[in-house]
Amino acid sequence: MLLSRVADNLYWGARYLERAEDTARVVRAFTEVLLDLPVGVASSWEPLLAVAGSREAFEAGHARRAENDIVHFLVADSANFGSVVASVAHARENLRTTREVLPREAWQTVNDLYLYTARDAESGVDRRSRARFLGRVISESQRLDGVISGTMQRDEAYEIWRLGQAVERADMTTRVVGVRAAALLATTAATVNTATSTATTSTTTTSTATDDFDEVQWMGMLRSLTALQMYQRATRGPITGEGVVSFLLFDHEFPRSVAGCMQRIRSALSRLPRADRTLPECDDVDALLSGLRADAGDGAALDQAMDRVQMALGRLSAAVYDTFVRAAE
Amino acid sequence: MWDELIDDNGEPRAAAAAVVQQLQELGLSELQQRQDLAELDIVGMGITFTVYSDGRGIDRAWPFDIIPRVIAADEWRRVELGLMQRLRAINAFIDDLYHEQRVIADGVFPAALLEHSVNFRPQCRGVSPKYGVWAHICGSDLVRDADGTMYVLEDNLRVPSGVSYVLENRAISKRAFADLFAQQSILPVDAYTDELKRMLASLAPDDVADPTVVVLTPGIFNSAYFEHSFLAQRMGAALVEGADLVVGDDDCVYMRTIDGRERVDVIYRRVDDLFLDPDEFRPDSALGVPGLMRAWRAGNVAIANAPGAGVADDKVVYAWVPDLIRYYLHEEALLPNVPTYRCVYDDERQHVLDNIGEMVVKPANESGGYGLLIGNRASRTELDEAIANIEADPRNWVAQPILSLSTAPTLCDGRIEPRHVDLRPFILSGAGQYVTAGGLTRVALRRGSLVVNSSQGGGSKDTWIVET
Repeated sequence: MLLSRVADNLYWGARYLERAEDTARVVRAFTEVLLDLPVGVASSWEPLLAVAGSREAFEAGHARRAENDIVHFLVADSANFGSVVASVAHARENLRTTREVLPREAWQTVNDLYLYTARDAESGVDRRSRARFLGRVISESQRLDGVISGTMQRDEAYEIWRLGQAVERADMTTRVVGVRAAALLATTAATVNTATSTATTSTTTTSTATDDFDEVQWMGMLRSLTALQMYQRATRGPITGEGVVSFLLFDHEFPRSVAGCMQRIRSALSRLPRADRTLPECDDVDALLSGLRADAGDGAALDQAMDRVQMALGRLSAAVYDTFVRAAE
Repeated sequence: MWDELIDDNGEPRAAAAAVVQQLQELGLSELQQRQDLAELDIVGMGITFTVYSDGRGIDRAWPFDIIPRVIAADEWRRVELGLMQRLRAINAFIDDLYHEQRVIADGVFPAALLEHSVNFRPQCRGVSPKYGVWAHICGSDLVRDADGTMYVLEDNLRVPSGVSYVLENRAISKRAFADLFAQQSILPVDAYTDELKRMLASLAPDDVADPTVVVLTPGIFNSAYFEHSFLAQRMGAALVEGADLVVGDDDCVYMRTIDGRERVDVIYRRVDDLFLDPDEFRPDSALGVPGLMRAWRAGNVAIANAPGAGVADDKVVYAWVPDLIRYYLHEEALLPNVPTYRCVYDDERQHVLDNIGEMVVKPANESGGYGLLIGNRASRTELDEAIANIEADPRNWVAQPILSLSTAPTLCDGRIEPRHVDLRPFILSGAGQYVTAGGLTRVALRRGSLVVNSSQGGGSKDTWIVET
């Protein structure tokens, strides 16, 4: 038995926490990558805004787009709904009304995380302390995951939790792929074209250099989803754009791939009541994914395809609300 | 002045000997460190209460003093018996009021007082809750006077709160004084939620085999929300708000779940009577459930405390409890009331008027201290005004001698100082009865203050019932 209102709060609590963790991972990985790049090579922090889906919100309030402005906005700005600090606060607010269904330690972990982020968020902006702050957000989130998987009854509340977490994670992976991979594929294509048309000049060296940095960027992208090591284990050969995209979208074995998340979503929904109303939305997402294989090398098409997957995930979320919350009214 | 831990000669009382010795051995700075750690635990465990400021609820860390208040187990057993006796009489009284009103017919309780009661609910007439019990959960406030006598100060029968802090305080103080718990036998308090769950389940309609119990809360903005959530969690019960419940055409109560509507058998409500059902009480209440009273009267759902139980949560009824014990149980009260003079009776009124400078005068039907007069702190004009009020409407006034509340050693700004305390044990009544081992000791943290409310600078202590 799970109250509709509680289900709604749990679902969003799980999503907000996943968003906090994912944002922390992305910012941390992006910081590491940019430090590796030479001065002058694509050192803009704006893609981070695009990944977080908050470019417009940022531009409305900020004239400057320096690193600290953007990182502050994404990590420490409580007025930004999607920032790490705000996501944790929303999660805590949601979970405060679901304490009776979560293991007690789970609430304590969320509360710890909230107290820490509310107090120390500014240290997540300064480069010297950024990794430590973001690392703690990530490890506390992992601790929560451990508490839940290790101590929580496999009941409806648990399935709702898994569902919210997987939907948010799938959404984040599509945004990383849509923004970062699409941009990288586009620049790679452009570099190749430039190299061909000016073959007589000394572009060979620069081209090689950019390729090297491309690899750094692809690695950074994998890192931002904590996928680098698993990619290396799962894939033979060097890191290629196509390989990375295909791993992040289709590899069922990787828990942060879109396919991996869809598996968890299906499994959760099939254990929850009235799956006949929610599972068809998963079919839509899966159909979009399987139609995509051919486009994997084309940046612009990939970006658009990711938009469509995100919209389908939005419809899935709406179906979850209609089925579990609205239908009982 | 009576101190809970130290006697008049400055020696520790027998039950407190181990605690006092430990305090001396630890020294102030170690004690302060343990206090600081306890406060960190409280923040980390999310033990909070809500205070209101600028119309906004703010979540505050629960104020706690690590030095426990100690009561000897043999004294406590007598208190326990007294509390159970009291609640048996109070429940018989409530049940009587909503049925034949023999107590009035027999001239024990004046009819006029019932007519003036703000908590009597005519909607409850003729309803017969199981076991004849209306006040299933009661929090009675006890105080100790200078001579060491423990008195009942009031009985909270509507939606008494504080029991979650009894359990949380214990969890914290076990960490602070693990060695003391190992050395001596301190009665555990953890059984409360289990007893509560069992009692609530026993209230379900007879044809229900495996009853569904829920806790009804006004919501997250209520000052006791932490406790509502805590109790639901400990009992494994759903924590519902009014909007989660619906009364069907079959007069049964259902909750809205992700799998549709599910039947509810017992509601532990932490919502006041007047907000329970907008169809019958305040129509503007968004906290309640339309039709709930109908379902309750039909016997399809049990509500604890029963609607209308608050009729006995009243300064007037309080003054009659010793008479009610005599009337219903044919026993003398084991636990004394603070002597209370009822101005409705000529001789008692005369005593009040003659001694008003040494009395606390209370309006019978107001709560929250409004209209309260403390004789030895009042001006001549205030006293004259009180006398005039009493003479104009004697029924509306009661008076008590001024008690000097006992103290307990408390850590204040790095020093140990005596501070005034009270005690709120919780009494469960269903088929049987249960009393918490001890209860919530509240402490007035300001020197000389008698105000123990957490919203007004009060703190709390763990209460140890120690076998000696």
